Amino acid sequence: MTYEEIVRKTSDTLIQASTVFRPDQEEAYRMAVKKERNPNAKWVLESILENAAVAEKTKFPLCDDTGIPHVFLEVGDRASLPGGFQSAIREGIADGLRRLPGRPMGVKGGDAERLSQCCGLSEDSGAVALAPIQIRELPDSDRVRLTVIMMGGGPEIRGKTLRVFHKHSAEVVIDEMVQWATEGCDKLGCLPAVLGFGIGRSNLEAASLSLEAMCRGDFSRQSPMEQEITRRVNESGIGPLGLGGRTTALATFLKVGPQRASGVRIVSMRVGCCFDPRRATVEL
Amino acid sequence: MKVTMPVDDAVIQKLQVNDTLEISGVIYCGRDAVLPKIVKTLEEGAWDSEKIPLEGYAVFHTAVSPAGIGPTSSNKLDIEGSIPGLSKAGIRFHIGKGSLKKETVEALKENNSVFLVTPPNTALLTSKIQSQEIAAYPEEGMEAFTRLIVTDFPAIVAIAHGKSIFDKEGGKPQ
Repeated sequence: MTYEEIVRKTSDTLIQASTVFRPDQEEAYRMAVKKERNPNAKWVLESILENAAVAEKTKFPLCDDTGIPHVFLEVGDRASLPGGFQSAIREGIADGLRRLPGRPMGVKGGDAERLSQCCGLSEDSGAVALAPIQIRELPDSDRVRLTVIMMGGGPEIRGKTLRVFHKHSAEVVIDEMVQWATEGCDKLGCLPAVLGFGIGRSNLEAASLSLEAMCRGDFSRQSPMEQEITRRVNESGIGPLGLGGRTTALATFLKVGPQRASGVRIVSMRVGCCFDPRRATVEL
Repeated sequence: MKVTMPVDDAVIQKLQVNDTLEISGVIYCGRDAVLPKIVKTLEEGAWDSEKIPLEGYAVFHTAVSPAGIGPTSSNKLDIEGSIPGLSKAGIRFHIGKGSLKKETVEALKENNSVFLVTPPNTALLTSKIQSQEIAAYPEEGMEAFTRLIVTDFPAIVAIAHGKSIFDKEGGKPQ
């Protein structure tokens, strides 16, 4: 695992994440097309599949909001990492963004200037900084697996992390999640949504678990809780692009972490868009 | 239905909510930053409509960046607020995503303009571009008012003649 290898693999993985649908994702869309009776919904879902085919063929972004790069690392407990490991990942991310090309949306300036955006944007696609890396352990392994996931802005506006008073009932928590997700979907134009949830003991833990759910989730393997949330959100009938139909949410990815001995659960939700999760994984 | 820009009023009259279109010809692009500026210039009577004709044309709510094009939410204040002024100035197609409020539906009707939506399919939409050039406000960078020439750009009629696909009673097929 040399510095150059890490840079190249990270860069290629970012491009893969931004331009290619995975087989389970494509299959989920094909099944959704079959279920729809509304011709507008069918038209939207089919066009999303057509977009994925063009994006893969031309290596062009699935969406022009190419997103904020996040990295999810799984490190074997017998693996050793070379010096410069994190610098190589950062360089790979910047290189991938330039090659993609990502939307040049890095905000320039110091703290106050970045908040008000008064110093404008960098013209360099690679200036969109990597978010803090999340790490998990791979037990009894010497492998290192890196997932790049690109997070678009629309879902961030509709997402939230907040406490839920559970009243000692999982159903109470699920009811709240369904309500949040339905409200979020109603405002998110880019439907069907892919819902990401993490439930933990702190705001940070819940958000991190939500990212883990988006990084590991599989459209073809949905737990009973995930299926229930998707089914109930779909009862809203908001439909693809908000034009009505049976597919408001394509799937739900949920990670339930350890819980606190308390009356609250911290739930973090991402109302992912129709291309979410834009992710790809590589072994370093 | 295939439509070539610019469109005349007779074409608009025939369009109904739920119609799918394939648009060819000139489409202008602009969003939050530039559209209010254009409306202000129009109100001041300072728009050079010989250089940049608006009558019968389309405005697509998008940035034009190296990452391509894709609809942003049209119900953002600056964008939705520009729809009445631009319709009055002759823009017939407003293309974006998301529902619009009642007042905007009325303003579209009064001016014989329609609202179209298109999924955020950047790779597909960008592949429809034949050429692009900045038409006005180059200082806005990727949010400048940009003129595209497109072939078979896909969209669906969401609001027309006072009817909205987003209303329960707006003619949404089940």
